[in-house]
Amino acid sequence: MSDYSDKELLDLFKNIEKRNYAFNLIVRKYQEKLYWHIRKIVIKHDDTDDILQNTFIKVWKGLEGFREDSKLYTWLYRIATNESLTFLKQQKTKYLIPIVDYENQLKETLVSDLYFNGDEIQCKLQKAILDLPEKQRIVFNLKYFEEMKYDDMSEVLKTSVGALKASYHHAVKKIEKYFKED
Amino acid sequence: MGKYNKNLEKLKGNNKNPFSVPEGYFDTFPTKMQERILSNNQEQSWALKFFRYAKPQFALGFMIIAFAVIAITTVNLILDNESTSIDSDLYTRIIEVDASEFSEEHFIDVLLDEDKKKINDHKTEETDLYIHYLLDEDIDYGTLIDEL
Repeated sequence: MSDYSDKELLDLFKNIEKRNYAFNLIVRKYQEKLYWHIRKIVIKHDDTDDILQNTFIKVWKGLEGFREDSKLYTWLYRIATNESLTFLKQQKTKYLIPIVDYENQLKETLVSDLYFNGDEIQCKLQKAILDLPEKQRIVFNLKYFEEMKYDDMSEVLKTSVGALKASYHHAVKKIEKYFKED
Repeated sequence: MGKYNKNLEKLKGNNKNPFSVPEGYFDTFPTKMQERILSNNQEQSWALKFFRYAKPQFALGFMIIAFAVIAITTVNLILDNESTSIDSDLYTRIIEVDASEFSEEHFIDVLLDEDKKKINDHKTEETDLYIHYLLDEDIDYGTLIDEL
């Protein structure tokens, strides 16, 4: 299957008869990138699957009105990020009294998770990342794992490039400190 | 940035993803999405169909309710107005006069008329007493006048 550019996909989607086909191509093109982005935020595969489906449902509903004032790719990431953050918020407010810190819960399940195959250092790194505040975690993941440009990240997170650079710098410092203390 | 950054770079260099997915997950995901979109569309179309069918009925229902509310409110208002009673004939006589012609002088005239009526009524009562007396005593009125 030849790769379509984002512009070609959007033009194809505008044709009502070819809309389903275009959407299918968009899903195939971006499913993995979005999956790993979400997975690094919420850790568990089942949660990631739910969030990824919700993300694409929103894409389907919103694509007709997509004004192309940002890139399709950053728009998709923004939806996925917002869905992930909403999910985390729901998990934390699930109980009236937050008896358990949700991030600590995730750290504990990380090692026993069926779909986590990392070695000791990778496990430590993931735990260090889970210690970061949510947005800082996302910035770190996007920069470190996906090597996203700051300009694109700024579109995804609606934050200035300067703030993102500072956030990434602080994230690296905190992870460094986590490893030293451990 | 120190020793740790070298570790970070080393980890990235390994290019090994510590997370994994169930086998065939990405192969089946697009199909799963298509099915979900189709089922969402069907649910929406059922809801739309029901709304289009039921819209006239809902509109009729709301109209009937609105009419009933207006009718009940109007009847209540009318009944409230009728319950206020006019206490005296005097006020009735005044109200019967065209409001545009009503004046203070007329009001005073009416009151004076009432007073005269009362005096006349009183005089009439006295006259009756005299007549009853004369009849009872069998006194001839003409004879009484001659003697006076």
